[in-house]
Amino acid sequence: MRMRVAAAAALVLVVSAACSKTTEEGEEVDQTRTATGVIATDPKDSLGPAAEVPGATKGGTFTVIRENKISHLDPQRVYSFAGLMNAPLYARSLTAFKDDGKGNLTLVGDLAETPGTNVNKDCKVWEYKVKDGVKFEDGTPITSKEIAYGIARSFDPDLTGGPTYVQEWLADTADYDTKWNFKANKASLPPGLSTPDAKTIKFEFTKPRCDLPFALSLPSSAPLPPAKDTGVNLDNQPFSSGPYKITKHTPGVELVMERNEHWDPKTDPVRHQYPEKFVWKFGPDPDAAANQVIADTGDAAAGLAFNGVPSALVSRVEGDAALKGRTITSPTPSAWRLTINTQHVTDLAVRQALNYAIDRQGFITVYGGTTVASPLTTLMPPATIGYKEYDAYPAGPTGNPEKAKELLAGKTPELVLGIGDDVPELGTQLKTNLEKAGFKITVKTIPADAKLDETKKKDNPWDIWLDQWAADWPSGAAILPVLFDGRSIKAEGNSNTSYFNNDAINAEFDRVLALDPSAQAAEWSKIDERIMKEQAPAVPLFVEVAYYLHGSKAGGIFISSVFGYPAFVNAYVKQ
Amino acid sequence: MVRFLIKRLLSVSLTLFAVSVVSFLMFFALPRDPVTGMCPKNCNAERLERVRQELGLNDPKVEQYAAYMKGIFVGRDLGSAQGGKCEAPCLGYSYVNSEAVTDTLGRVLPVTLSIVIPAAILWLLLGVGLGMLSALRRGTLIDRLAIGFSLTGASMQLYFVGALLLLIFTYQLKIVPVPHYTSILDNPLDWASGLVLAWIALAFLFSAIYARLARAQMLETLSEDFVRTARAKGLAKRTVYGRHALRAAITPLVTIAGLDVGAALGGTVITETTFGIQGLGRTAVYAVRGGDLPMIMATVLIAAVFVVIANLVVDLLYAAIDPRVRLS
Repeated sequence: MRMRVAAAAALVLVVSAACSKTTEEGEEVDQTRTATGVIATDPKDSLGPAAEVPGATKGGTFTVIRENKISHLDPQRVYSFAGLMNAPLYARSLTAFKDDGKGNLTLVGDLAETPGTNVNKDCKVWEYKVKDGVKFEDGTPITSKEIAYGIARSFDPDLTGGPTYVQEWLADTADYDTKWNFKANKASLPPGLSTPDAKTIKFEFTKPRCDLPFALSLPSSAPLPPAKDTGVNLDNQPFSSGPYKITKHTPGVELVMERNEHWDPKTDPVRHQYPEKFVWKFGPDPDAAANQVIADTGDAAAGLAFNGVPSALVSRVEGDAALKGRTITSPTPSAWRLTINTQHVTDLAVRQALNYAIDRQGFITVYGGTTVASPLTTLMPPATIGYKEYDAYPAGPTGNPEKAKELLAGKTPELVLGIGDDVPELGTQLKTNLEKAGFKITVKTIPADAKLDETKKKDNPWDIWLDQWAADWPSGAAILPVLFDGRSIKAEGNSNTSYFNNDAINAEFDRVLALDPSAQAAEWSKIDERIMKEQAPAVPLFVEVAYYLHGSKAGGIFISSVFGYPAFVNAYVKQ
Repeated sequence: MVRFLIKRLLSVSLTLFAVSVVSFLMFFALPRDPVTGMCPKNCNAERLERVRQELGLNDPKVEQYAAYMKGIFVGRDLGSAQGGKCEAPCLGYSYVNSEAVTDTLGRVLPVTLSIVIPAAILWLLLGVGLGMLSALRRGTLIDRLAIGFSLTGASMQLYFVGALLLLIFTYQLKIVPVPHYTSILDNPLDWASGLVLAWIALAFLFSAIYARLARAQMLETLSEDFVRTARAKGLAKRTVYGRHALRAAITPLVTIAGLDVGAALGGTVITETTFGIQGLGRTAVYAVRGGDLPMIMATVLIAAVFVVIANLVVDLLYAAIDPRVRLS
């Protein structure tokens, strides 16, 4: 008997979802928005059509204005935020998130009938059944063979840029392309991937891979018929399996997508096909794009400025009721923290004192204000499934220097703050803030281009620095073990930049990662709180807030609860 | 004339060869490793080395340069990672745009040409015309207005004038569409309406400078002996000014115009950025920002070609304008 994910019941994981409110004055940002996550257990949840969007009308052209081209369109190579938001229009994956834009997420089957069957309940064997009636843009049916081929081609080292989770898990090594050579074996499949029949696709791993249903929601699991594979050239003209197909693409200038008549809404639980066309126009810088949308004429009236509202225009938009009514704002999953190098700062009291001392309000003011950032006291952002709010070091919005001094017990720790040379003002703010609490801070600037690489080196010279993390899916598994599992520390290229290694916490990671995904969420929240209370390897600072402006005829846009960028699956043009 | 042309063409070839060598060496001298663009998230040293080998980046530099030049003249096979066969003139493959560099250039060059050539015609007509008029009407209201115009234009920046034009004509009055590029072959009216603000902005700034130069040149020429002689011979004003004075006065302007147009064709970065149009200049800037080395090399080469050709044209025009100049 096939066992479904979360066999017992759909698990509503977090409950304090308070949604953003749309008012006459526009959408007010709800700083406490959290993710309520469900992994669908009933196959009906994965059926289409998606619920109608109130007020949505069919027809028209929806325009998205952006400065730069989308880095990749080939589904196996899509990994940028613009690409991830655009790809669902023309590429379907095995699973997908049903997202109401208010934090309520349900992982459902997209091309698959369900989010996956954990065959032996050990996360080592997963099976997916392909829906009936799913088709490519030329009307040919999509079977497990084309989906498997799509995954297989992501092993091709020529096809750079995309996520590598599934390849690494199948090959059980980061050097997956050395384990299986796609070009030499195009007629076969990578080890662990099989298609017993045209409806079934099977993944077999040597280790538990409980996050597979999440990883398969990325466009890299999109199907492709081998005959349509044009290698690197597919990047400019992908073959559609979604509600739109690419009819014209001039890289860096324009991308035109028109309705795919072979897409059947009855098979699709997340997408609509309201506009006649979607057009991305590339070129205008963020100010010019926002000005076009503010002017509300021509294409921009039914459009969105994808680069957001530049800070220079925020006060104008905020001060004009008509413009504010056309804004969308929401916290995103992109979380910032002050990383503490635990190799250098070994005294827990010092790390805790940093947490008490931090003036989040002051920091956010210097960063750009509450329209772009919302304070955070947890390691996982509120957009994570299973998120539970807590504050391990309650010190109020501006910090508690006295409490920090008390912990320091007369010591004046000397810390070197590494700061990108593009944000010196943040360094000055932190120095002033922390020195009030008794720290002695030496600010050393790092070239912005090199900062990420340099801080990822184990032997870097800094004690504290700013870090940012946005997970590929809203699960604690994509955040906490990645950032704090000490066994993954290497000489260079670390994500665990606190260089934190604690056996008890590592054991907890192993325990939770082996659980069924539906059972993991609440556990991640517990670990989050435990890490902060017992170890304090970082100071959580804020999550970025998305702030977008659309034209008066654009409707149905919401901020993706997964990625924190505007989603287009519900978009429509007001007629 | 033929000898002159041969000599100049040889010199042009030598200049372009030097530029090609320098831009090719730049590929290796820049701090960014061209291979990193080919590597996925978890790239390691072995993988980098493997990619480097596949791309032929471990071959001797002379061989690599020869292959690059061969690509320009007869095309070459770049391998599956770089889109396969690349037809001449092949300038490599852009990982950022996921296409052959020549495909990108083929798209952005007409944009830059469409901005620069009409704008240059406008600024030359307006600038030289105004400068001449100002010189011939020295001390009058027209002269003062022309000086005022040129001072205003010369003291402004394109990003300010451009933003002002956009604000007034596109966002407020809404009588000019948002700047964009349409091929003149597809829709001449749309082509013109999409670029008219860029032409006006460029023409305003450049014509101001040309008006001042033209005025000064004309005044200087009018005080020369041959003009006085022409007048003394009883020639009509029109002939004196139009046939004798203007030709002599315009020669230095041609030199400057040639350099300006050549440089502008190499990339009108600020104009393209201000108006959000993707031409050669912006492509070059994005290439630098994105570490797109083949594209950087190609844009440097193209810009050099424009400047060198513009200089050659200027030399030829000298002889046509001023009979005193002999091409030898």
